[in-house]
Amino acid sequence: MKGGYTGKILRVHLTTRTIGTIDTAKYEEFGGGHGIGSAVFFDLVGDQLTFEAFDPRNLIIMMASPFSGTFMPGSGRCEVQGMGPMLYPVEWFAHSNFGGRFTAQLKFAGWDGIVVEGAADEPVWINIVNDKVTIESAKGIWGMDTWDTQEEISRRVMPGLKYGEWAELARDQATTQSPAVVCCGPAGENRSRLGALLHGPGSQAALCGFGGVFGSKKLKAISAIGTGDVPIADPKAFMAARLWFRQFQWDVDNPREAERFGAGGPYALISGRPSGGNVLNRDLPLTPARATACASCPRGCRMRLATGDSNESVCAGTMVITVNGSVKFTRQGNDLMQKYGLGHWQLMPLLSYIDALHKKGILGKGKQIDTDLPLDRPGTFAYADAVMRAIAYREGVGDDLAEACARFAKKIGRYDQDVNDGTLSLAYWGTANHYDPAIEAEWGFGSLLGERDLMLHQMSNYPIHWMAWSGDPYLTAEEVSRLYTDAMVPYQGDPFMVDHSDGPTGIYSDSKVKQVAWIKHYEKFWVGAGGFCGWRWPMCITNNTADRRGATPEAEPKFWNAVTGDNRTFADYMELGHKIYTLDRSIWALQGRHRDMEVFPDYVYDKPSVGHDMTMYIDGQWQYAKGTGRTLDRAKVEDFKTRFYKFEGYNPDNGYPKRDTLEKMKLAKVADLLQKRGKLG
Amino acid sequence: MADDKKALNTEAAPKKRLSRRDFLVTGGTVVAVDALIAASPAAAAAAPAAAPAGSSAAATYPASKGYLVYDSKKCAGCTTCMLACSLVHYGVQNLSRSRIQIMQDSFGKFPGDVIMAPCRQCKVPVCVQSCPVGAAYVDTENGNVRRIDSAKCIGCRTCLRMCPQQPHRTVWVTIDGKGKSSKCDLCLDTPYWDEKGGPGGKQACVESCPMKAIKFVAEMPDQKETEGYDVNLRNDHWYNLGLVDNSTVEPKRNPVWKVGGGE
Ligand code: SF4
Ligand code: SF4
Ligand code: SF4
Repeated sequence: MKGGYTGKILRVHLTTRTIGTIDTAKYEEFGGGHGIGSAVFFDLVGDQLTFEAFDPRNLIIMMASPFSGTFMPGSGRCEVQGMGPMLYPVEWFAHSNFGGRFTAQLKFAGWDGIVVEGAADEPVWINIVNDKVTIESAKGIWGMDTWDTQEEISRRVMPGLKYGEWAELARDQATTQSPAVVCCGPAGENRSRLGALLHGPGSQAALCGFGGVFGSKKLKAISAIGTGDVPIADPKAFMAARLWFRQFQWDVDNPREAERFGAGGPYALISGRPSGGNVLNRDLPLTPARATACASCPRGCRMRLATGDSNESVCAGTMVITVNGSVKFTRQGNDLMQKYGLGHWQLMPLLSYIDALHKKGILGKGKQIDTDLPLDRPGTFAYADAVMRAIAYREGVGDDLAEACARFAKKIGRYDQDVNDGTLSLAYWGTANHYDPAIEAEWGFGSLLGERDLMLHQMSNYPIHWMAWSGDPYLTAEEVSRLYTDAMVPYQGDPFMVDHSDGPTGIYSDSKVKQVAWIKHYEKFWVGAGGFCGWRWPMCITNNTADRRGATPEAEPKFWNAVTGDNRTFADYMELGHKIYTLDRSIWALQGRHRDMEVFPDYVYDKPSVGHDMTMYIDGQWQYAKGTGRTLDRAKVEDFKTRFYKFEGYNPDNGYPKRDTLEKMKLAKVADLLQKRGKLG
Repeated sequence: MADDKKALNTEAAPKKRLSRRDFLVTGGTVVAVDALIAASPAAAAAAPAAAPAGSSAAATYPASKGYLVYDSKKCAGCTTCMLACSLVHYGVQNLSRSRIQIMQDSFGKFPGDVIMAPCRQCKVPVCVQSCPVGAAYVDTENGNVRRIDSAKCIGCRTCLRMCPQQPHRTVWVTIDGKGKSSKCDLCLDTPYWDEKGGPGGKQACVESCPMKAIKFVAEMPDQKETEGYDVNLRNDHWYNLGLVDNSTVEPKRNPVWKVGGGE
């Protein structure tokens, strides 16, 4: 291994309280991040599947990528993997990720990742200071919220640390940085299936309930700080690549078409301008603030405010709680969610569902589901606190709510009715509807053929969706379809991949099959194995260049090869993404996944879409059109799936990977286990 | 080592326990520095002939022809500058090797949540003045940049203690297994970057910062406190993003709150 890797993965067994290592070289063929994580999961527990997410056999895997700790733009995220207790009906082997600087510090400490096995008998946290790793007692920390936990752990790791000074971790190991801590809050401690992991004040691993898995292992936190090197195979090429990349960034002093892209609305989210991710500092008078970035991100979508609230929270992290009439209390209400450690992307639909049940007279004081919660006072801070507290501590009805949306609905006997009529819009695997599967079909298919909401905003849906919605798109429908798909190597040159019509070249077409495959492969390799931010990558188009071409597909291999010393093409790495996706699908098959399960709830097929402006090819013309009133056709979706499975090398009868597909990918041992379990395609 | 420093400080100004920064604030810089040199025979030996140790005249060094100024309200804390600095000098990425240090408190309040700490290329470079073996020097052939020759460094850490800035801008690194001091050379010597550095050249941190929060200037900034170095590099485009440093500032153009067509 030439560059990018430190060479070892940390292995901590909480039951036996032992600490070991895994050689990264053994897994190098999987790239890094998600790829290595899946391979480690398969090797350690694949043959024991299936068991429950809160079983001590479940793993928490946090793999860094070769880019972690480097200045590769937008690669500061940490991938978390393991079985996800939020997911429904099966707690699939899943992933979530969070931004910040955790993986950077992990790498500086000399580790390519961490695998946590077993469960402790009393609360603990893991302390990583360079090559010194200890399992520490969480006495005095267990029970704290996520913010206090991080500050207290920092004090325990570096008692002499003064902000703004050098500290020596050991002789010749100097740093000015503070430990990077990731932890669960009270929600996770109480095994809430909404339990998130928090790093910093606002960086959440929101989906899948990994906070609850921490809690089930009596693991409060992991802290990492290091002073070592991340080796770079070709430093000169890497520096040149980083400076080359500047052309794709928002120019803060002289932005291109500032009037258009620096203004409000959708472009705040997609133009690459700093700070637009926090939606809670938009009203005059503005609270003084800075744009804040994850490690190595040139965008800096976050803010830190003069009031210190909503620091580093973005998007849904600033949108779940609303306190009427007060932006200040709204920020603090959302901060409360971060402190309890509740996953925003599940809390949001749960709160809507609580409100709907209350309005229907089902939930409330003296109602069928009796509760003292002040449900008649939504929009107040007291309401937000009471409801979140009940969920986090499993008090009263909160005990059922902590089971997350799907299992709560099941428990009260309303799942089928409420999910199928869309009252509870869980579009895929118990996670909330996001972009309309009937229009932005790649998002729907990408989620359904995965294990949770796709949550990859830079996939075609997002730049096009928001650009179209701005009312001022900078490319015509034809231009964006061509430019976008030009970048989609190795399927480039087929503009119909982004045709969102329901015509012959639209959402059920072979072009769409390719687009969904591209998304899954990009998700698994570049985003998953590269630690990329889904708000930055892929970058198929951008408003920041004259010709609107983005950095994809030139940037990714340019950076990867410079860091690692590999010499492969974008298409080679996409095939590696295919391999990782196939491995994930194999694990899901071992957990019981069959093509018959890969269906949307009824409302997705039956409820006419409100529509959304997207690129559509209608009557021989490219246009932005809405598709209002469209419903998904069940038979056509099934036919689409059949062609997708074939395209990917899976058996269309059941969706299981085939032996020759696995063997071509050097995954023969995976094929053997699948065969043993009767799950080989 | 920190204790040595405190003792010296106390000696220099017995009535007030001075922090390193106080040397710059009080305007008593020269006196304090001279006192330090007098108290350190090894350092005195390294003082330039133009300013004999213990003399009441200012130690004079030719002014550097380049400085880094920065805007700590514009910095987003991405650490790209630090990793660029480490990369071009050592071929690896490591925050601890960076000659510019960015510190941040995620839970803190703007603007105190970020501290930027590049070398100031001081008028009176105490690091140079105090080095007992001349490893820290003024490079008169290259724009008078204050430099450290790590090969000559004996690892005594004097310059770490003596740099009046907090945190000290001399940076302790491991080279070939040995602890050595280093410092910003304005990118004069970058084995892993084929750009001419130093005054008139390019600096890796300046070039790589996505927020344009670091700038090279030729004129010596005011040496008192940090105002001369920590400057405003933001223009209206910045304020128009809704990022103000004062709640009375109204951006010229509505930044984000008037949404046309979107949600
Ligand atoms: S290292 Fe310290 S004393 Fe030396 S020039 Fe830089 S800021 Fe001044
Ligand atoms: S000018 Fe060069 S040596 Fe100095 S801090 Fe910047 S990158 Fe480092
Ligand atoms: S590169 Fe610029 S924005 Fe990033 S930490 Fe350095 S000075 Fe701050």
